[in-house]
Amino acid sequence: MNEEEILETEDNASVLDADYDDEEDEEETYDDGFIHMASVLEGLLFLTGDEGITLEQAANALETDEEYVEKLFDYLQKYYLQDNRGIEIARYGLTYRFLSKASVHEAAKRLFQITKTNKLSQAALETLAIIAYKQPITRVEIEEIRGVGADVMLRKLEARGLIKEDGRSDAPGRPILYSVTEECMDAFQLLSLDELPELPQFDDNEEENNDLFVQ
Amino acid sequence: MKEFKVSIDAFDGPLDLMLHLIKEKELDLMNLDINVLTDQYIAYLESMETLHLEIAGEYLVEMATLIEYKSKRMIPGNKDEIDSEYEEDPRERLIKRLLEYQQFKEASASLNAMFEERQKMMTRPLSEEAEQFMVAEEEQYRGNPYELMKAMRKCMMRMQLSKPIETKYTVKEMSMEDRELEVRAMLDKLPNTFRFESLLEDCKDVPMFIVTFLSVLDLARQHILYFTIDEEENIWFSKGVVA
Repeated sequence: MNEEEILETEDNASVLDADYDDEEDEEETYDDGFIHMASVLEGLLFLTGDEGITLEQAANALETDEEYVEKLFDYLQKYYLQDNRGIEIARYGLTYRFLSKASVHEAAKRLFQITKTNKLSQAALETLAIIAYKQPITRVEIEEIRGVGADVMLRKLEARGLIKEDGRSDAPGRPILYSVTEECMDAFQLLSLDELPELPQFDDNEEENNDLFVQ
Repeated sequence: MKEFKVSIDAFDGPLDLMLHLIKEKELDLMNLDINVLTDQYIAYLESMETLHLEIAGEYLVEMATLIEYKSKRMIPGNKDEIDSEYEEDPRERLIKRLLEYQQFKEASASLNAMFEERQKMMTRPLSEEAEQFMVAEEEQYRGNPYELMKAMRKCMMRMQLSKPIETKYTVKEMSMEDRELEVRAMLDKLPNTFRFESLLEDCKDVPMFIVTFLSVLDLARQHILYFTIDEEENIWFSKGVVA
């Protein structure tokens, strides 16, 4: 992770001196075995395509532990992040996969004559946002926040594989709980839900103060 | 007065419309004047109506709430009652809802940026060659649906033989969903691999049998169960990943 950041912010390197040291230390540990394993992992990643590969799967295939595989992935990711590469290794959720870089998109659009782009409606985005931030969450809770029926939208999102049923709430009627899927994490480039941008605050402190005054 | 009209479709529900009105009329959300908001809201819906646009029920529900609040406020000397009657002041509640909705509306904008960025990156399907090997490997394990049907028939025959034929029976209505829950409960007590018959012990009649079969198919679809059939046409199940 640190290494990625370094590459992205190479210009203001002074802040990252400490990390640079780390990186150099690691570089020394790249022995032939490591490089070989990394190349095999790269091959696996190529084969798995859009299915991607998880740490666990890779560790099993390479007959090593996940910690080691993570180092291999770090190494490969760093390599592909260089400007002279057109693909990158992205990790969303638990899965690593090869993706063409965003910088390829314009040329790809011309090559494949892509005119349409996938879009999510505002309603879909809001519903997904609510689920992602509050999961697991029931339909009624979502409807309360949006003030609109969510039944059809939930079915659509489920059909698109962006959300899944995730058990039932203990509330009366045992309503179904919804959570986002790995695919959803992929769609929003999230490693985990902790990476969601912080919800904007609209200062309801003031409101609470008012409350006190009323009382 | 109305310089431009926006279709109600442009709004994602009544809260979205209220936020729009608050912004347009420069109302202070924290010190929301519900009277002004109510008037604006009603005026907006009315203008929709004159355009013969259908107004979704949700908008009307919120309108009713707004009017109720406003009318209560207009009854003199009734002010205290409003506060004591509700657990939460409806005005505070509305502000809270608007604030919360606004949060997610804004969050969805940044999510959209992430989504669009991700759309620019593309991937390729799993290696076809690798997939061929995978399927071959799986088939030893999973069997195909027609084999399953054949084995199922044999199962039923066996059950008929083992039970005396009753001349009268009541059809116990049971939905597949209910049965599926029962089967899931049974799974906890069963070993990792078990025979289909293990699930049939409490089946008294054919409809029940069939419902069980259907629920098992559904469980297989959800990868909660995997099935395989041996040479003697026994159906074996093994537990899969529980989603």
